[in-house]
Amino acid sequence: MSDRRADFPALLAELKPECDALIAQYEQPRSALLPIIHLFQSREGYTSPEAMRAAAAMLDLTPAVVESTVSFYTLFFRRPVGKYVLQVCRGLSCSISGANDIMAYFREKLGIGHLQTTQDGLFSYEEVECLAACDKPACMQVNLEFVYSLTPAIVDEMIAAMRAGTYATAPMAQTDAPGKTWQVDQNDEVSTGGKSKGARDVSDPDNAGGLGDKAGVIMLDRIVDRDFAFRGRTSERVVLEEPAQIKELVNEDAHH
Amino acid sequence: MAAVVTPVLTAGIGEADLRDIAVYRGRGGYKQWERAVRDLKPADIQAACDASGLRGRGGAGFPTGKKWSFLPNNDKPRYLVCNCDEAEPGTFKDHMLLEETPHLVLEGILLGAYAIGSHHAFIYIRGEFKAGYAIFMAALAEARKAGFVGKDLFGTGYDLEVTVHRGAGAYICGEETGLLNSLEGKRGEPRLKPPFPAVEGLYGAPTVVNNVETLAYLVPILEKGAAWFASVGTEKSKGYKIVSISGHVNKPGNYEVALGTTVNELIQIAGGMREGRKLVAVQPGGGSSACIFEEHFDCPYDYEHIAKAGSMLGSGAFLAFDETTDFVAAAHNMVRFFAHESCGQCTPCREGGHWLEIVLRRFVEGRGLMSDLDMMRRVSSTITGLNLCALGDSIEPFLKSVLNRFPAQFEARVLKETTHV
Repeated sequence: MSDRRADFPALLAELKPECDALIAQYEQPRSALLPIIHLFQSREGYTSPEAMRAAAAMLDLTPAVVESTVSFYTLFFRRPVGKYVLQVCRGLSCSISGANDIMAYFREKLGIGHLQTTQDGLFSYEEVECLAACDKPACMQVNLEFVYSLTPAIVDEMIAAMRAGTYATAPMAQTDAPGKTWQVDQNDEVSTGGKSKGARDVSDPDNAGGLGDKAGVIMLDRIVDRDFAFRGRTSERVVLEEPAQIKELVNEDAHH
Repeated sequence: MAAVVTPVLTAGIGEADLRDIAVYRGRGGYKQWERAVRDLKPADIQAACDASGLRGRGGAGFPTGKKWSFLPNNDKPRYLVCNCDEAEPGTFKDHMLLEETPHLVLEGILLGAYAIGSHHAFIYIRGEFKAGYAIFMAALAEARKAGFVGKDLFGTGYDLEVTVHRGAGAYICGEETGLLNSLEGKRGEPRLKPPFPAVEGLYGAPTVVNNVETLAYLVPILEKGAAWFASVGTEKSKGYKIVSISGHVNKPGNYEVALGTTVNELIQIAGGMREGRKLVAVQPGGGSSACIFEEHFDCPYDYEHIAKAGSMLGSGAFLAFDETTDFVAAAHNMVRFFAHESCGQCTPCREGGHWLEIVLRRFVEGRGLMSDLDMMRRVSSTITGLNLCALGDSIEPFLKSVLNRFPAQFEARVLKETTHV
């Protein structure tokens, strides 16, 4: 892994024309904030403090405003994530059509829970709200590519391919090592991972299509909620340092 | 009315590659757009829309022509924004239209923009629809190349630009003012209304926000005539609707039907219930809607009848439940959704949803208290009506409907033994 922070000025110089083109699409520059963050995240694998600061400089906003905005959106990761972000739908349609078993299966298999990353940095796992694919339950996204009608066999195959490096969807860019969770409210005590004790055997015919694994869901949600419950979307701020260097870079570019 | 599917917007999906502009044009695509710019005045399209009785297909069901008519005449630019931030639990029609027939979506946007005299239209695509975004970008590039988007269209001097904006994961951005804030590069928090977007929308200028399906219907309405569209449906709910059917049916999917098709017929269309199982409840309009039960299964699926049955048609997300459903877990799932998606601006929604979720989780675990049942009713009804947008008001309907209908399921989860001495 190369030094992301040292490489950032080069990345910024490379992406600057694309950012300018994004800004030019709108009557007001600030509208380009989400597209610019998407662009940086696609290259860095997450939304780094440097990227937020660069966006702030380009759009004449304060870094705090940028971070406040970025923190509102669940698809912007303010901490590094694994190579494969596995987002399984927990919406009601999927939930009554076998998704709970699939989620339990993922947790068992990966040994991690909701909002956690495996120790090898390969998988980040999240249970997400309705993905608008309720006709093909259970569904999920892998780095935002849909996978439909999940079964344990499909999950096995997918995980094996990802481990072998042969999975069709491109991995997330890896510019920083991920921690145990990408939530900003990181608390080492929380993210201990571990197997879901309440998971029922997914091959149990009595459990097909019903609401299985309640204990598993609850146990993990409780662990997460205990520490995240009162913080909501607006959480602790990332410390933004060295504004001068970035500002300089952007301004320099503007002068030319 | 018979249980029939009538593909209008969905025509050709699965048969032809409608993503290819040549295929789309071969089926008459962009003809209405060319005709509109060359021969029609914006007022003609507005008149056709009014006469067709088209109502918003995103959830509120507001008459589309009427929404357009609220735009004031001033010197500010006007904007059309297509809402493709589809995230209402159980809805998956816009996702399909975007991926399968992007040119139809685009033609609808163009017609809508022309009808309100806009020169800059936007489409706000849900962040999760990465593939749909790429497909739509490709379609837009093709249309631009063919001369359907850009400057001096068809040599008439009319300019129209279309900008594609990707969201980043927030249900609340489907609310129109939350969407506009997000489009302006801000947190997707809904705005206080009034002023409504028609008066002060994007960048403070008059703006119309229309759903993907609503705009797409402009194409067949212009092609076949407003009378054709108005000839089907019921008294106040005209035309067709894509219904996203999911849950315990044999063939979940998007089915395009005339409004007024009954609930039972929709179940038949989706292949009936799973073998040996019985339909006990339907959530007819997405996560925000109350369940309807047996006594209303012969009810026509339209805005008025579903409202009269105590629920709403919403975005057309039709979720069927059989007798095996654990409604306590379902209520918890639904409330958890709203608690998670609350933007946090309004205290009743932010706190109420959060605490209800905790209480419901106790029930799921079999640790509920008898007194919680009334408390949940009280808290959820208190939340309703005290918020800037409809999200907070969406917490109560489903919870209340299943609490009232299946009290035994909740009572069975009340803690039996206590450790009190």
